[in-house]
Amino acid sequence: MNATPGQAPVKSIMPKWVRNEQDFVGGIAMMAIAAFALWASSDLQGMRGFSFGAGTAPRMFATLLLILGAGITAVGIFTEGQHLAKYHWRGPFFVTLAILSFSQTIRSMGMIFAAMTSFLIAACGSAETKWVETIIVGACLTAFCALLFPYALGLPLQLLPTFMIR
Amino acid sequence: MGDVFSNLGLGFGVVFQFVQWTPAFLGGTSIPIPVNILLCLIGALVGTLVGVLPGIGTIATVAMLLPITFGLPPVGALIMLAGIYYGAQYGGSTTSILVNIPGEAGSVVTALDGFQMAKQGRAGPALAIAAIGSFFAGCVATVLIAVLGAPLTKLALAFGPAEYFSLMVLGLIFAVVLAKGSVLKAIAMIVLGLLLSMVGSDIETGASRMAFNIPELADGLGFATLAMGLFGFAEIIRNLDAGGESDRQLVQNKVSGLMPTAKDLKDSAPAIGRGTVLGSILGILPGGGAVIASFAAYTLEKKISKTPQKFGRGAIQGVAAPESANNAAAQTSFIPLLTLGIPPNAVMALMVGAMTIHGIVPGPQVMQKQPDLVWGMIASMWVGNLMLLIINLPLVGIWVRLLRVPYRLMFPSIVIFCSIGIYSVNNAPTDVIIAGIFGLIGYWLIKHDFEPAPLLLGMVLGPLMEENLRRALLISRGDWSVFVTRPVSAVLMAIAAALLVLTVLPALRKKRDEVFVESEN
Repeated sequence: MNATPGQAPVKSIMPKWVRNEQDFVGGIAMMAIAAFALWASSDLQGMRGFSFGAGTAPRMFATLLLILGAGITAVGIFTEGQHLAKYHWRGPFFVTLAILSFSQTIRSMGMIFAAMTSFLIAACGSAETKWVETIIVGACLTAFCALLFPYALGLPLQLLPTFMIR
Repeated sequence: MGDVFSNLGLGFGVVFQFVQWTPAFLGGTSIPIPVNILLCLIGALVGTLVGVLPGIGTIATVAMLLPITFGLPPVGALIMLAGIYYGAQYGGSTTSILVNIPGEAGSVVTALDGFQMAKQGRAGPALAIAAIGSFFAGCVATVLIAVLGAPLTKLALAFGPAEYFSLMVLGLIFAVVLAKGSVLKAIAMIVLGLLLSMVGSDIETGASRMAFNIPELADGLGFATLAMGLFGFAEIIRNLDAGGESDRQLVQNKVSGLMPTAKDLKDSAPAIGRGTVLGSILGILPGGGAVIASFAAYTLEKKISKTPQKFGRGAIQGVAAPESANNAAAQTSFIPLLTLGIPPNAVMALMVGAMTIHGIVPGPQVMQKQPDLVWGMIASMWVGNLMLLIINLPLVGIWVRLLRVPYRLMFPSIVIFCSIGIYSVNNAPTDVIIAGIFGLIGYWLIKHDFEPAPLLLGMVLGPLMEENLRRALLISRGDWSVFVTRPVSAVLMAIAAALLVLTVLPALRKKRDEVFVESEN
């Protein structure tokens, strides 16, 4: 993974002086989070005499993170390291979509529908999915969860869609 | 010494508690049910079941199974969680022996010799020795916790806010020192965790901090939500990346002949003893206790062995020592949690999260106010270990079959299970979305070699650190030197500083060397 002359120019979007892209980007992201936190906590009260205000600790930690982020970025500039990691879009995309679908349908459509649909959506995240077995396993798992959570664990979960209950 | 026995007695009393169950269909006849033992058994079983699934580590297992304990009374919930924890650990060693995929970092070294043994058709003895070693280590560790518990609690009660703050700093520094990879990144993760813990309302003034008027954030980020996002969802996404199916070489030989021979036992007995001692000591230290312990135990065995060339080719000591160390460390890591209220690693941080959900603030007060809870949990550790020994060996066949479950079916199931679990905590759909966001953040962090475990530790310790820092400065009237003028605090701070310098120095030198090499070229 070292930046040998043959490999370095290959689709690197970073400027040349960044030698450890992973750390460089990681450090910048940490600094961005810290800056955001500093902004978000700027409306909070600071020190009053020698007692802490609500904003003292958040700003303290944010400042610390800012410094650390700068340090990591510096490491990214001054040391040799790896290129930016490759991301795959398929897995993250469908898993996120499945989670979103679950959160949007659980209230109105009940657990059975929400679990089954998001199971099928999540299954799209892998190229190896075989649909018949996926549907069978999905149905079994949904049935298992429908028994486990409301009955065995006594959690108040609505199983069926709201319109069917009414 | 009498104290220890009476405390353990109390603990076993709690574990062996019977609850009268009067089902309607029996017409008034009541049956006594040992609820806590059953919970311990279920926890150990379910923990092993999930821990065996490849690609799911201990932290992810405990995080995923957190919600199923929410409906229980506090004592039962903690006993079950502890059971899940050992189960997951044991499951991890099973996978490393049978498929060469260590479920978690702690059993990486077990895979070295364990998998070789399995290939030679000796999977049975390997698994049995792992279980026996773990059980022995568990027994020793339980006694150790019982002995150290009371005096450490007394010590902790004498601590003022300044000492507490310094102790937490030391704990976090330990976690950084023992974490793998970049020191800077590990510290950054802890600070990010501290920062995330600030979201929500301020304890003293009640002011809303960084919540952006989102009602779900008003009480702060849910700990369970964050943990399941960072470990449950993020791990799934990462595993999908890696193509979960590719490198699974399952041992096809039938697992037969479980019992180790007399020679096996004789060979591994001293290794188990040494592993237990090493693990017990290293487990108390904050940081990656169990991981370091198993590595250290393996290295030690190899060093003092008369036949070091056998290691890596199926030496039974290479399974016995790390497994014992691993389990001893897993249990002694409860000591700082129960006595000082400071979680030494991410799994213990999860335990704190679970305790908080049940309204228990871990720390020395718990030991005094709710002795049944603490001692019940300690006694349940021993019972849990015994159960693992009894149930797991006959069930090895089932675990092997579970290993054949393809990842393409497993990951959607985990997504659903986690989603329902998170939703059921507060019946809040927003929590599920927040967990999803943290899943993506966790994926990004892993991709950039940031370890999410220290983040969790920071998240748990954040409110405690802030509170003690505030109090210490209030008492000292704003004088920051209080942390170095009070003797105990000064010692703790000095150790922390020395550790940090020690870790950074060689790293600096190495990095510099690399730069020098570069500039010469």
